[in-house]
Amino acid sequence: MKEPKRKTAQRTIALTGTAGFLGSSILRRLEADPRFTHVIAIDNKKPPFPIKKTHFFRLDLTEVMADAKLVEIFKREKVDTVVHAALPVTPVHHMAYTHELQSVGTMYVLNACSGTNVRKIVLTSTTDVYGARATNPNYLDESAPLRGGFKSTFIADKIDAEMQFLKHAKKHPNVVVTILRPCTIVGPNVHNFKTSFIQRPIVFTIMGYDPLFQFIHEEDVLHALQMTIEKDYPGIFNLVGDGVLPLSKVLQLAGRIAMQVPAPLLYPASQIAWYASLSPAPASHLDFLKYLCVADGEKAKQVMKFIPKYSTKEALLSFIGAMRLREVHLVAAPGGA
Amino acid sequence: MEEELHNIHYLNPNPATAEASQTSSQEQLFLRLEAHLERMETEFKKTVKQFAKQDGHRSSPASADLSEMVHNLEERLKMVSDEVRQAAAPRQKKSQLIKLVEGGLHLLGTTSTHAVRDFFVKTWFGNAKEESFEFDDFGLDPTFMEKVKPFFDFLYQDYWRVNVKGVHHIPRDGRGLIVSNHSGTLPYDGAMIRVGVLNEHPARRDVRFLVEDFVYHFPFLGTFMYRTGGVRACPENAERLLNKDHLVAVFPEGVKGIGKEFKNRYRLQRFGRGGFIKLALKTRSPIIPTAVIGAEEIHPIIYKSTALAKPLGIPYIPITPTLPWLGPLGLIPLPSKWTIVFAEPIRFDRYGPEDAEDQMLVNKLSEMVRSNIQDHLSEEIKNRRSVWFG
Repeated sequence: MKEPKRKTAQRTIALTGTAGFLGSSILRRLEADPRFTHVIAIDNKKPPFPIKKTHFFRLDLTEVMADAKLVEIFKREKVDTVVHAALPVTPVHHMAYTHELQSVGTMYVLNACSGTNVRKIVLTSTTDVYGARATNPNYLDESAPLRGGFKSTFIADKIDAEMQFLKHAKKHPNVVVTILRPCTIVGPNVHNFKTSFIQRPIVFTIMGYDPLFQFIHEEDVLHALQMTIEKDYPGIFNLVGDGVLPLSKVLQLAGRIAMQVPAPLLYPASQIAWYASLSPAPASHLDFLKYLCVADGEKAKQVMKFIPKYSTKEALLSFIGAMRLREVHLVAAPGGA
Repeated sequence: MEEELHNIHYLNPNPATAEASQTSSQEQLFLRLEAHLERMETEFKKTVKQFAKQDGHRSSPASADLSEMVHNLEERLKMVSDEVRQAAAPRQKKSQLIKLVEGGLHLLGTTSTHAVRDFFVKTWFGNAKEESFEFDDFGLDPTFMEKVKPFFDFLYQDYWRVNVKGVHHIPRDGRGLIVSNHSGTLPYDGAMIRVGVLNEHPARRDVRFLVEDFVYHFPFLGTFMYRTGGVRACPENAERLLNKDHLVAVFPEGVKGIGKEFKNRYRLQRFGRGGFIKLALKTRSPIIPTAVIGAEEIHPIIYKSTALAKPLGIPYIPITPTLPWLGPLGLIPLPSKWTIVFAEPIRFDRYGPEDAEDQMLVNKLSEMVRSNIQDHLSEEIKNRRSVWFG
């Protein structure tokens, strides 16, 4: 290397998906941190807050030749680290677009990475890729097979993105490839289809099934993400809060009414509700209300020394507290009279 | 508008109503509240003015903001008092009789509505005092366990009259693998081993028993198993439990054992592929061979239908003297007399975790444990005079 070695934080960091929750939150962190001087944000929407030092590039990752444009940006800005957070958390009705964004968008990003001097790439995935199956062991480690995509194309695209990252790691052994798999993220600022599931006054669950759930607080995820940006941790890491809670207790803590419906009724009904935009997710996601999908966060603890601040229960309570405040605020909001 | 509000705000209590009814005392309370608020407001205004004077013209925009805030506050307070007044007003017009009837209804109502409310709160939200929000890693609910313990104790003491031998062979602390014969259509034997060790062992150790996959395909049953200490049988789960120094009960016969036909009772089936030996070698845990006698008679399976069971996702449909014929009553197990024998622990200290790869050795050790259990079974059967009385 001819270039004088710069500290990790001073290298140029490119973030994709900065309009989404994870992308925008990590961008906010990097904005506030004076150690990071060169940050660029790539998305087709502006970040949801005013940016000062970040350079924003408006680019739709699904458009044709997006990789050429990315190469241009990466070369001009001398990008060193890419955080690919442009995978949507919430399923959308426009399945073709989601597929384009998750699979093809990832391909474009990786193409651009191999064409330039990108030294580190980080992907934010989810533990949903393991899939909820009756034959899952209680704790899934990183080597467990990814079986979430059998029913859901949404998760299948996420798995495809992960596979592309792993292939990239094989092709370019000197590139640090990190895949983070956080479990369900909750917290005062999170809004995705899983939190909106808890926010409904009556929640439909599957009769006779009460699987264990796992949550991680948004701050813990962002902390882990920042750790991977600052230091090199090649490999796949599950990010989970300590402890588990059954679904029934989750709903009790949230003060929601659980309506138990037999599985043969609930699956078609929720698929229809999904088509009618009444349900936040297609019926294939009901598997997560039926069977276990709990990940083992031991590797992140051992290798990354990542100790989550919030346990599963604490993270959930933090989310519920914020949710209640929001509800009260809606009732007592001034301005009407 | 402003004046009207003002009028309502400064309204004095009507002396005629104040004398008579109960509601007037409420009214007075409200009025006192209003007066308090009034005083607070004036004080607030005063202090704001003082601040404005002290700071001079530099803070004049701020003081303007503050006065606006005060104004808003005032208006809101007035609205509150207005609402309170409206709520209190109609009660003044009621006659004594209506009040009496209302009071009676209220008395009746409180008891019934409370009961109804409590019922719904209990069914929907559960009683917060009785429910726990702490679960162990595998979904065992200590509070639920406490609730169902009497039922298991009834099965253990009165129904099957379980006799436990050799409980001192179970280590006081540290890991241990209880290996037992399997039978009974549903995993009652695991539950009874658990209750037996909990009741008879001086250290009151908690046994986690592994349960076949197919149980977890059923609604309710799988959840019940998790809450009461069962764990889905897979090597990852068992290894995790043993590494945390738990006592784990495994049934290497698996589905072949739990659905054993009556003619094959107390004949141990093949012990899988020796997964439990690999487990013991990997985690360096001692094996406690265990024989459960009596469980193989609770559901005498005459015939197994596998073709009909496939669409249901279960391994077989058992036909017993009672099962399809008596309907749900056929699910009640027969009251045989049980004996659980814990034999001397077998340690594999000579071998290390790397020997788990040696399939020949694993098979040899597996067969050794199997014959050990079979010996204990045969001996107990020989000494047993009656299936029902032991």
